[in-house]
Amino acid sequence: MSLVSALIWLPFIGAIVTFVLGKRNEKLAFWSAYLTSGLLFVFALITFVGFSEPIVIETTWFSYGEIVVPFGFYIDSLALVMLLIATGLGFLDIHFSHDYMASDPHQPRYYAKVLFFIGGMIVLVSAKELTGAFVGWELMGLASYWLISFWHHQKAPADAGVSAFLFTKMGDIFLFAAMGLLFVAAGSFDFQTLNALATQGTIHPTLLYTVALFIFIAAIGKSGQFPLFPWLMRAMEGPTTVSALIHGATMVNSGIYIVARLFDFYVASQTLLIIAGVGALSAFIGASSALVQKEMKKILAYSTMSHLSLAFIGLGAGSLAMGMAHLTNHAIFKALLFLSAGAVIMSAAHTKDIFKLGGLERKMPLVALFMLVGAMSLSGIPPFSGFFSKDAIIASTIANTSTLIATFTFVAGLLSIAYITRLWVMLFLGTPRNETIYHKTTAPSNFWIALPLGIMAALTLLMGFYQEELKHFIDAKEAHEAHMGWLMPLLFVLMALLVGVVYLFYFRRADVRDKLAAQPLMKSIHQVLFNGYYIEKMIFWFAHTMVVQGIARAIFWFDRYVVDAFIDAVPKIAKSITDTLGKTHNVAVGYQSSVMLLGVVIVLFVLLLKGLV
Amino acid sequence: MIWLIFLPLLIAPLLYLIFGKTPMVKYFTLGYFVFLLLESFALLGTTPPSGYLELGSFLSVEAFDFVLDLRIDYLSAIMLILTSALLVLVTLSSWSQMSASYFALLLFFSGPIFGVFATTNLLWFFIFWELTLVPMYFLVGIWGGERRIYAAVKFFLYTHVASMLILLAFFILYKESGYFDITMIKESMIGSASLVWWLLFIGFAVKMPIFPFHTWLPDAHVQAPAPISVLLAGVLLKMGAYAMIRFAILLLPHQAQNFAIVMVVLGVITLVYAGFMALYETHLKKMIAYSSISHMGLVLIAIATLSFDGLGAALYEMIAHAFIISPLFLIAGILHHKTGSWQMHDMGGLMQKAPYLSAVFVIAGLGALGMPFTMGFIGEFTILISAIKSFGYPLALIALGSIIAASYMIWSYRRVIYGELSALVAQSDFRLGGVEFGALVIFALVIVILGIFPHLIFESINTAFAQFVGGAL
Amino acid sequence: MSAFVILSLFALLSFAIEPLNRLKLFAVIGLMVALFLSYQGCAVILSGFDATPQVSFFEMIVFIVMIAVVLHEQEGINITQLLFIGAASTLLLQSQTLLSFILSFEALSILSMILVAFIQTKEEADGAIKLFIAGAIATALIFMGAGLYALDGHSLLQGIEMPHTPLGHIGLWLIVLALFYKLTIVPMHSWAIDSYANLSPTHTAILSAITKSVAAIALFGIYQDYLVEAGIINLYALIVFALITMTLGNFLALFTQRLTQILAYSSIAQAGYLLLALVAAQSQHASSGILYMAVAYIFMQSSLFLMVGVLGKKPTHLTLKDIQGLHHQDKLTALLMTLQLFSLAGIPLLAGFLGKAVLFYAVVDAGFYIVAFIALLNSALSVGYYAWIIKEIYFEKQTHPMELSITQTSRVAQLILLLGTLYFGIFAYTVFAYA
Repeated sequence: MSLVSALIWLPFIGAIVTFVLGKRNEKLAFWSAYLTSGLLFVFALITFVGFSEPIVIETTWFSYGEIVVPFGFYIDSLALVMLLIATGLGFLDIHFSHDYMASDPHQPRYYAKVLFFIGGMIVLVSAKELTGAFVGWELMGLASYWLISFWHHQKAPADAGVSAFLFTKMGDIFLFAAMGLLFVAAGSFDFQTLNALATQGTIHPTLLYTVALFIFIAAIGKSGQFPLFPWLMRAMEGPTTVSALIHGATMVNSGIYIVARLFDFYVASQTLLIIAGVGALSAFIGASSALVQKEMKKILAYSTMSHLSLAFIGLGAGSLAMGMAHLTNHAIFKALLFLSAGAVIMSAAHTKDIFKLGGLERKMPLVALFMLVGAMSLSGIPPFSGFFSKDAIIASTIANTSTLIATFTFVAGLLSIAYITRLWVMLFLGTPRNETIYHKTTAPSNFWIALPLGIMAALTLLMGFYQEELKHFIDAKEAHEAHMGWLMPLLFVLMALLVGVVYLFYFRRADVRDKLAAQPLMKSIHQVLFNGYYIEKMIFWFAHTMVVQGIARAIFWFDRYVVDAFIDAVPKIAKSITDTLGKTHNVAVGYQSSVMLLGVVIVLFVLLLKGLV
Repeated sequence: MIWLIFLPLLIAPLLYLIFGKTPMVKYFTLGYFVFLLLESFALLGTTPPSGYLELGSFLSVEAFDFVLDLRIDYLSAIMLILTSALLVLVTLSSWSQMSASYFALLLFFSGPIFGVFATTNLLWFFIFWELTLVPMYFLVGIWGGERRIYAAVKFFLYTHVASMLILLAFFILYKESGYFDITMIKESMIGSASLVWWLLFIGFAVKMPIFPFHTWLPDAHVQAPAPISVLLAGVLLKMGAYAMIRFAILLLPHQAQNFAIVMVVLGVITLVYAGFMALYETHLKKMIAYSSISHMGLVLIAIATLSFDGLGAALYEMIAHAFIISPLFLIAGILHHKTGSWQMHDMGGLMQKAPYLSAVFVIAGLGALGMPFTMGFIGEFTILISAIKSFGYPLALIALGSIIAASYMIWSYRRVIYGELSALVAQSDFRLGGVEFGALVIFALVIVILGIFPHLIFESINTAFAQFVGGAL
Repeated sequence: MSAFVILSLFALLSFAIEPLNRLKLFAVIGLMVALFLSYQGCAVILSGFDATPQVSFFEMIVFIVMIAVVLHEQEGINITQLLFIGAASTLLLQSQTLLSFILSFEALSILSMILVAFIQTKEEADGAIKLFIAGAIATALIFMGAGLYALDGHSLLQGIEMPHTPLGHIGLWLIVLALFYKLTIVPMHSWAIDSYANLSPTHTAILSAITKSVAAIALFGIYQDYLVEAGIINLYALIVFALITMTLGNFLALFTQRLTQILAYSSIAQAGYLLLALVAAQSQHASSGILYMAVAYIFMQSSLFLMVGVLGKKPTHLTLKDIQGLHHQDKLTALLMTLQLFSLAGIPLLAGFLGKAVLFYAVVDAGFYIVAFIALLNSALSVGYYAWIIKEIYFEKQTHPMELSITQTSRVAQLILLLGTLYFGIFAYTVFAYA
């Protein structure tokens, strides 16, 4: 119990301490954060080791009227897995930051925000009720906003932060509304209670369906699914360590986590197919867009989107453990990939464009090796962890969902290998495309940079052997998995084919690729893919042209020229009344006297006429 | 208590006549307000959980039921604490102001505002209600911005016209019940209760303000000096909401029940409408002013629920709004003072020049957009639940306000404090006096602390409305 | 001995007293004695006159205000006139029969004419003549009315009875219309616009503040019973007069630039409010309403006219531009003026608010909600120009300093008047005790 409170409070207190200490001495910031995150991981590990049954802490946050708002904690295996990911990868990330952020003048701020970020995730995953989860959910959104626009003095990161915040917030309001609806309908914020109530059918089906969709929309926002994904790519403006944290350890997992947390609820609400459908579409968009990106971080970002979709599809196909297993695997190998990319960027004079790099394998063999491990896991090559979860998901879509969803998933899964091979080949093989950058490139530190990569690579490999245990740990009552004998050979053949094509296009015969790309049709396809199917442009158009320049402007006009103009017209009306009245006022004495008498006569006449007397 | 009301009224003119520019008046005012704050806490401590704390009757005119009955309940006591806390903070924020008359007017203001919350006699309530306008008129008119005269006169007249409706309503109440004292009036005595309700509602809606009676507010807030905007938003608007609760709701619960739908519709319109206004606005302080209106829409929705929890939520949101919107106004004022511009696109990169000032702006802004662990979230959250509970599922629509608020706030961060350093910001010096900055820090701390530990004030708030449970509501 | 005798005596003797300071002292003593006698409730010992507590109270108020005027005044002849007017006011207030009422009213009317006959400038002549002609018409009307009423077969030596025939009603209405002249009710108002604006401010203070409120109280006293009995149509007619008067006065004042003219219009508007007391005659609060309103009005109106009088060489020419930034020059005057203006505007804790509040409540009490509402809106409208004057005093920069001619005694006079405005703004039971 005290361990849980420590887990909750430590990151926030640590963040403040880090900031204050860091303001005195830059170096202290790192060590403070390092120590804090290390402790967090140790706490999580201790909890894991001693875990036998869910830890439940019930507390009341506040009560108003007759409504009691709880803020309890509930740590079961699902939460524990997320905790381990968040704290473990967070720790490695901070370790990696030692070198990566070494030259940054704002380290205290950086480390404080990272700890805050991890803290948000911890609150989210250990919350017992929707309220607590929402708090963590929003705090993390805030931290991601701060971290993405960490270099806020530049235009691009500042803009990226805005879009990250608003895209996710667009989803969040649905979670917010869902909270209210659920509380009124079911009388509880508690996840377990809600699951139970939904399963029993106590909640009205329509409401259940709506709320499930609402929460899923929030998850779409946080986990970067169609159509709220563009912020994921914009988020690449932040430091790469932050990208690793967002895309690997914390933020994007939260959407999937909340659906997983309410899995029984979702099963009862019959929305799983929608989840799988949105997931499949997103997976395809992500994978296909990743094929043509130039920046290595954007490739990884689209890949994140695509793989999170796979996790969603796993859930949507009806298996909690499958989805969560893929999420876990993905968290590790994606953090590995991002940090490897970070290592490359850092070493190669902050170049992100893969077309300017190449042949780096000679400069940093260790990084190349570790990244290869991550890439293979992502592609789904045995015995790396990604293979098991990804193939299982594809198999279960074919078995459990519609053909369309299965096809999209299949293609998306397959394309992983293409874009990741492309990335790896472009970075590490061949001849350097830009000599100056190549010469500036220096091998990164072994301890601070390569070590965390190595640990993650080892984990990726190791996790491959513990997939069944992982699934069992997450969900003990996991149902029988779909197995398709023909699927795996087919996948392998196609994957080999794709690797061949990529190898050919990007390594041997770049001229053929360029010729092909010059075709008008290919060019426009390329454009569509490169811009992420123009979804961002459309949303921006809607938000800017329709909402701000349309609705807001119309209201603004209405307020100024109707509501306020009405008030401002009052003096004018008064003035015209005054002028009219003023005309009746003549200064001549005789006139005035006549008016007096006329008045008398009229008054008497009227009174008589009215039958006064 | 009677001296808390009348002593400032006596002293303030003397300070004006005797002193010109002297820091002594400033210290005196601060000292007095701190005393008021302590006194308000003491009053809360002695107020019984249900019923009134009797503080005496004065100036009795039996023939007209014109008696200055001073009695406070929990609701009043909470408002008194909020008011005096804000008065202290406003004084601190005005520390660079040297004119004795300015502080004399602040002092003057403290008298009637205490009277508003402390009397149960309708006519005396009205007297104090109107009297609060007077110092505001001068504060806006003398120390305001470029269009201060327009703003001051508009504010004065607009709210005065609204007051006339209130006065008429009070007259009708007296005629039909025979009492000016709300503790004696029962709704069943009132024949034309619905007429009275409408008069009161419109009268108070102007003060809150609620669409379509809101247009005085952006002008008054923008032209007022920043600390006075704080008074307007933190105290005067709250006075409107308080009166709405006390007279339109608690005094006439059945009418309120009948017209709850009107209130909730207007509340939602205000929330969304003002939100969109803020979204389109490029003038920093106007944007904040619209944000303020938008939040008062939320308060009205909460009031309209007419439930124990809804009224509690309304009171919490009122307090939250006071603390959230105040630092925003203050910082907007500082920015204008230092850069000479109100336009957000003229600014940018403030974080690089004045990180701590920006941090307070960010925290307050997060409060406005409803970030958890700030007071704003608790307010929105409790109101959302209460509204859905009372009016059904469609009220989940309130969540929309949250994204609108997030849009204008985050976008204002982008334009003002993040991004590249603008020329205007680069050449300005944002150093602040320690006292002024201290006031800002207190605001930020309150926003966060009461956002994390809302039960600290919800206990008192629940007590304030507990006595109305099981009544007509 | 009544205040009437004392004041007449002092007025006659005052011709012989010089210099000014001694005259002032003398007049103040006379008024003090009158005040004391009124406090004792002494009535004029003639048939047809009686002093009810309400009347005695209002006499006291009138004498207090007169003391202030005396202290303020620099012209000996005006002080003498004032004492005469004080005597006539006592008569008018105490009159109980129609005849005594008519006679006292005529006395007051003539004294007013004599007062303004002290002409120094061409404009004053303009104002005086207008007042004179209007007064003549009113006198004619009042006698016609009295005649018709007598023809209807009633004695003038008692209070008003219900007339038997239309003739009597017309007679009574003619008297009311004549009184409208003094009260400046539309349509008998137009002389006042010029007279009030052009006459010397002291004269205006006496005319618009003192004689007007005295006439209003007296009219209410003698007509109340008749109005309660005579049927609703009378009240409707009065409502029309009252509303038109206040609306016209307020609108005309709204965009006027000349200070005395604004005050003149405002005085007309206030007359509209006073008339509401007659509308509300059937309410038990009507008498306290008009008394309160009159008390408040007499203090604030006289204070403002007297104050304008010392604001420059040619006070009637002052425009809003001239008083801009006054508070830079003289904080006290600015504050006094502001308080009195706020009182006129009906801002609380000043007598003007309670006056209006009680009076308008009487209208509500009589059942005329809409009338009260229009009156309240009028009051709000009037804030427009009062607040605008205050805006000039405080919010604008002073372009050129004013030539103030404020003496110590006039300061004292202003403080007396302010005290009245403040006292009756807070301690309402005093008025209610006498109403």
